Amino acid sequence: MPTVELWAKDGYLSIPDGNSIYFWGFARSREGKAQLPGPVIIARQGEPLTVRLVNLLPEPVSLSFPGHIGVTVDGSPARPQYEDGKLVSFTNHALPGESVSYTLVPTSPGTFLYESGSSPPKQVPLGLYGALVVRPADYNPEIEEYKTAYGYGTDTAFDREYLLITGEIDPEFHQAAAEGRPYELSRYKPRYWTLNGRSAPDTMLPDNAAHLPHQPYGAMIMARPGEKVLLRYIGAGTAHHPLHPHGNHTRVLALDGRLLRNGAFDRSYERFTVLVGAGQTYDQIYQWFGLGYSPENPIPTGLPNLRNLGIGDAGWTMWSGSPYLGLKGDIPKGVVSFNEEGEYYFMLHSHQEFQITNWGEFPGGLMTMIAVYPHLSPDIGVLK
Amino acid sequence: MGTVFSSLQVAPGFITLAGKSISFWGYTYAYHPRPRPQLPGPIIQATAGDFLRITLVVRPNAPFAEDLSIIFPGQEGVEVRHVPAPQFRPAQPQYANGKMVSLTDYLAAGKIGAIEYRFRALRPGAYLYESGTNSAKQVQMGLYGVIVVRPVGYHQPGHPNFRTAYGQNTASRHDIEKILVLGEIDSAMHKSVVPGAEYNLLDFRPDHWVINGRTFPASIAPDDNSSQPYGSAIRCRLGQRVLLRILNAGFQAHTLALGALTGRVIAEDAYPLKIGSSDATYEKTAVTVGPGQSLDLLVTPPYPGEFYIYDREYRHLVNDNQFPGGMMTKITVTP
Repeated sequence: MPTVELWAKDGYLSIPDGNSIYFWGFARSREGKAQLPGPVIIARQGEPLTVRLVNLLPEPVSLSFPGHIGVTVDGSPARPQYEDGKLVSFTNHALPGESVSYTLVPTSPGTFLYESGSSPPKQVPLGLYGALVVRPADYNPEIEEYKTAYGYGTDTAFDREYLLITGEIDPEFHQAAAEGRPYELSRYKPRYWTLNGRSAPDTMLPDNAAHLPHQPYGAMIMARPGEKVLLRYIGAGTAHHPLHPHGNHTRVLALDGRLLRNGAFDRSYERFTVLVGAGQTYDQIYQWFGLGYSPENPIPTGLPNLRNLGIGDAGWTMWSGSPYLGLKGDIPKGVVSFNEEGEYYFMLHSHQEFQITNWGEFPGGLMTMIAVYPHLSPDIGVLK
Repeated sequence: MGTVFSSLQVAPGFITLAGKSISFWGYTYAYHPRPRPQLPGPIIQATAGDFLRITLVVRPNAPFAEDLSIIFPGQEGVEVRHVPAPQFRPAQPQYANGKMVSLTDYLAAGKIGAIEYRFRALRPGAYLYESGTNSAKQVQMGLYGVIVVRPVGYHQPGHPNFRTAYGQNTASRHDIEKILVLGEIDSAMHKSVVPGAEYNLLDFRPDHWVINGRTFPASIAPDDNSSQPYGSAIRCRLGQRVLLRILNAGFQAHTLALGALTGRVIAEDAYPLKIGSSDATYEKTAVTVGPGQSLDLLVTPPYPGEFYIYDREYRHLVNDNQFPGGMMTKITVTP
């Protein structure tokens, strides 16, 4: 039976504007660093999963698994916890310095959130959340028909997959927690917005970037033309975020880890923008084909719109200098291109535009890029 | 098909939120010897096809210094008459000097009298009724309620529509039903608003989040005859199908999360998602309901225990910044 360890502790997040934010997160071990979001847990439909939570924080912490029934602790159903008749946690918790183990058997494949069920108005925004991905029982990444999100025959096959977890940060709220002060929640006002715990442009950096020890997950989407890219959105914060990829629409396959299909009736739908609701998940397929693109004719458009290619100050660009996929061309004198091998870049961002800033400064926040490469290693876009 | 008569009046009163007494305006049945305004207003029950005749009354002992009216979102063909005028005509927005003053026909401020609205409730479902006059102020102050329209045969065992929300073959059969009306309250606004006076809605900043007019833990207390008469606690036995009828009477979108449970959305804005063999229902663990919108969610808890239902916008789960509180209730499942 797979056992996952989550150690609840504190740490500091790095924001691209130079700010450093106190947070609570889950680490993989006593020595490990608290991270935002917590470690991705990958489970399999029908197979028991045990998660051991060790609490190094100064108040009770617990794990709730929304959408999962039958969670047990020491063989008994998990249940709400009270102190003097007052609700403390939605589920069994670990007191400071103690631990608690949860066992569940996921009945449905899909994308789920795990989060603290103790004092959630405080603990979840502070960072005690992560993703739980459940593979279908028949999942086999070696066989095309079985490399699916929801099982053979559900029309959910994918080539690569990415998690995009949204969150918000109110620096004053986090500072109050750092100092152990109470905070008036009616004053709550986020100034930073995160994808996988990072604000743009850090979202585009690789996983495990050395200078982001508490934010190990990148949010860069990479694929080849025509590949089926499974985007797993999770709204881990307490606000809604309209996420919107350029380049193509997405097909929404499942909500909250439940396939949008009733018998033979396919209820999946295409969307230009998906409103990622608090505590909810959205599984989608994104494919880039381009206008008239084919391997024989790798020109998709006229001269690409620079707005889709460049990011940052004038003087640098992500454009290759050529409209042909896989080819590099001339770049105006004095402009630096960060394009590696003639790939295309499309933005993926929140359409609530003040959320694509870091405390009001564009670019930042809920934004990343989709890069379409002519060649790409099969090791990219694999959840581990 | 019958006719359902309801007479409502508006009165100021007090509700209790997290131990504090807060002034509000509520609907109540008119002609009661001791009218007690309530939040939400009285639940009006009808059967599909019924004629609803709802009279808003201002009595000599309780004049009100604001224009008053009722709108019925989701209902078609609403007609109106000023009592005692015998003629009904279509209800419509009202203007003064070219400026809109009400979304529908209204009773003028301070006037003693009555205005009657009528319509045929053609479609089953749970609907809001609310003030159509100075709505930004009056709805926030508490002038909203629910109309539940049953399919024919709802109460008759053996009838194909028995205990269904939308009739047979709509995936809406249930054993337990609970209406959950969501809202938020700005206690500073409630304190400062007096009838007839201007209020700057840019100052609107809610500090209480309610289900059926109550915050947790009062939300899980039983129904009573106070100004917040409707509890939200849900009790069922194992295997029973629970229909949650969620209506958002507030000004903010709210996300109700079921925790471990997953429900099936069977209707949105009182339109069933399954009609005959076309089944567009879908499962959700949390649902976001926009202001003025509604959603019906069918849940069958799989084992005994307590399951909290809460606003996933977690900072709404507090009373005075303290968890637990706010927009939260629970389902208790017994063997």
